[in-house]
Amino acid sequence: MSITVIIPTILRPLTNDQKRINMSGFKVSEVIDEMEQQFPGIKAKLIAGGAAHRFINIYVNDNDIRFCDGLATSLQDGDVLTILPAVAGG
Amino acid sequence: MNKPLNDCVIAGSLKNPAAHFAATAFSLLYQSSTLGMEIECSDHPATNAMLSFAFKTPYTTPVTCEVIGWDDSDQPAAFSENIMQAACGIMSIHGRANSKTQPLGLNYVSTVTAALALQGGVAAAIGQLRGLSISNSCVSMASAALLSETQYIADATAAESPERLLPGSIAYPAAPPFVSSDGIVFELETLSADPWLKFWTRLGVSSTLAGKGWTAFLLRYARAIAPIPNELVTAISNVTYQQISVLCSNTGMSICPVRTIDVRLDDEHFKYEWLKGSWTFDFKTDGNNVQAKPASNSLPLSGLRVVESCRRIQGPLAGHLLALLGAEVIRIEPPGGDPLRGMPPMSEGCSTRFDAINRLKTVREIDIKSSSGQAEMAELIRYADVFLHNWAPNKAAQLNLDYCDLKDLNPALVYAYAAGWTTDESTFSPLNAIPGTDFMVQAYSGVAQKISETCGTQGGSLFTLLDVLGGVIAAQGITIALLNRCMNNAGAKVTSSLLSAATFLCADDFQNRHHSFDINAISSSVLNGVYMTRQGKIAIECCDDKTMQRFIQALGIVAESGPAELELRLGELFLLKTAEEWAAILQQVGVPAAVVIENLTDLHNNTRLRSRLTPGSYTRVASPWSFQ
Repeated sequence: MSITVIIPTILRPLTNDQKRINMSGFKVSEVIDEMEQQFPGIKAKLIAGGAAHRFINIYVNDNDIRFCDGLATSLQDGDVLTILPAVAGG
Repeated sequence: MNKPLNDCVIAGSLKNPAAHFAATAFSLLYQSSTLGMEIECSDHPATNAMLSFAFKTPYTTPVTCEVIGWDDSDQPAAFSENIMQAACGIMSIHGRANSKTQPLGLNYVSTVTAALALQGGVAAAIGQLRGLSISNSCVSMASAALLSETQYIADATAAESPERLLPGSIAYPAAPPFVSSDGIVFELETLSADPWLKFWTRLGVSSTLAGKGWTAFLLRYARAIAPIPNELVTAISNVTYQQISVLCSNTGMSICPVRTIDVRLDDEHFKYEWLKGSWTFDFKTDGNNVQAKPASNSLPLSGLRVVESCRRIQGPLAGHLLALLGAEVIRIEPPGGDPLRGMPPMSEGCSTRFDAINRLKTVREIDIKSSSGQAEMAELIRYADVFLHNWAPNKAAQLNLDYCDLKDLNPALVYAYAAGWTTDESTFSPLNAIPGTDFMVQAYSGVAQKISETCGTQGGSLFTLLDVLGGVIAAQGITIALLNRCMNNAGAKVTSSLLSAATFLCADDFQNRHHSFDINAISSSVLNGVYMTRQGKIAIECCDDKTMQRFIQALGIVAESGPAELELRLGELFLLKTAEEWAAILQQVGVPAAVVIENLTDLHNNTRLRSRLTPGSYTRVASPWSFQ
């Protein structure tokens, strides 16, 4: 599965300033594992204890993975995975 | 003791101000009364251009405090509360959620201005006691309005993917607040996704739609819109309020009905809170030996050190205001930094909305949950003048960083808590079990209901007006405690809250019902509206009959028309010229009028605002104070 990952500005120092990267995987967790191989340190910025950090939202196309199967959310060829930092509350 | 300024005096023409200053004068008198100040009202006639008062302490020369409308005295122009809301963009932000540029229906800018004006006087007195010769403090209503929107202006002007949100440009249902099948209007709140998912799926909503709703719900604080899918609004409207309340308690969601001012008045502790004012002060009276440190530059709080452990808006804004007054602010962030640093839009690698209220601070990353982190915090606080936090209730005690843990370590410390609900931690409050966030407090306090009455909506504003006012009064309380420390050698704990900010904002309603203070009521404006023109919208406010007469004469219309006829006539008439042309015509005869700013990037085009805005990778809002 070819997956496009949109990297937020705050994480671009880890991806050599790349805004979009192409990864592969059948699940979100597999894509993140591949990202970690290419860009060491990025996984810890995204997940802890087997789930996405509270302040990191990961979307497959327009869908927040917390409302799908979390990191086990399956992916289709051509899907876009967007990482977006956001914090609840004012 | 809750009257820290007992020995101080406020003197001026505050009981007979010009109509456009009436709300600011009212707020000043309310705060001065609750702080125990003596009020000396002079018989000097008030001027239209300025509201002036003197702030006096037994140890300083009087500080002349001036409140003006615009900063640029070369371009005098009539102004009022709603003209400021229109010209500075507040109407635009408020209007994003209901497709209509309209006033908040609150004396918001006037209230923020009053708090900043009094704080300016108090800060100037501190400056004098620390070796400065400051005798004058000035605040404009325009600068107060711009300060209120600092983060929104930053997002709209960001170098990378700026927000482009205009009233009416987004289609969405009018939620939140939500409405139950039995007609109760209410807010929901949660700070994590799990309760949200459980709640909506139990109402029969698919997890995918619940997720789309969560994204909108999550970002409403930053964007002032909440495009929640219709399916959620429909699902919840089929269930009674009682059923929804039970579902909330079963899923971990919080709920609060949109209450009226009259219901708020019936709250058990309301009258005590109303009379006490915006803060609870707890002064340390034993073992103090506070040496006043000299100021290190021309700003009144320079040379003072603030340690801040705050998230989101209210607390960080308070720290930002102290930094604008010259304090050195050390911001404590978790290892890796505050996650809000990464929240788009970004400029130069940092969230613009975050940077807008944190740019003047130095950062220390400390894990405050670890014992070594707590020891590091205590060591920092030992040498600080102020410690400020906005943690959840009881968290300070859990972290061994409550006032009782620190006051002996640093007897001169001003310990400040910017809370959500109560300012009195000695009394149990069931409200502390639910998140004390802006929109929940708007609903509970009566603010949301007041806004809905003006705007014809179901609830409050998604403009985070209480977070901002809460930050302003938190900084104000700290400044007052610092002055008290200079005068009486006493450290202190000062607690403010979003709810106490809401009570301050609605003070005129409570005064009208309780008549607790010797303050005149604020009269409603004779005319107050936003009209379409040939190009753009114009806001007009006639605060009194004389202004209304000038308005009628300038337009050449018949004064005897009834309100409905007049509105119809005005609607037709204003379409004949552009908003800019009408504003010029009306300003020439002294009628408060302004082109309504819909796009915040247009603020730069208003020459009266330019001196308060600094362009760059995003637009920064300057300090609201000027001292001489």
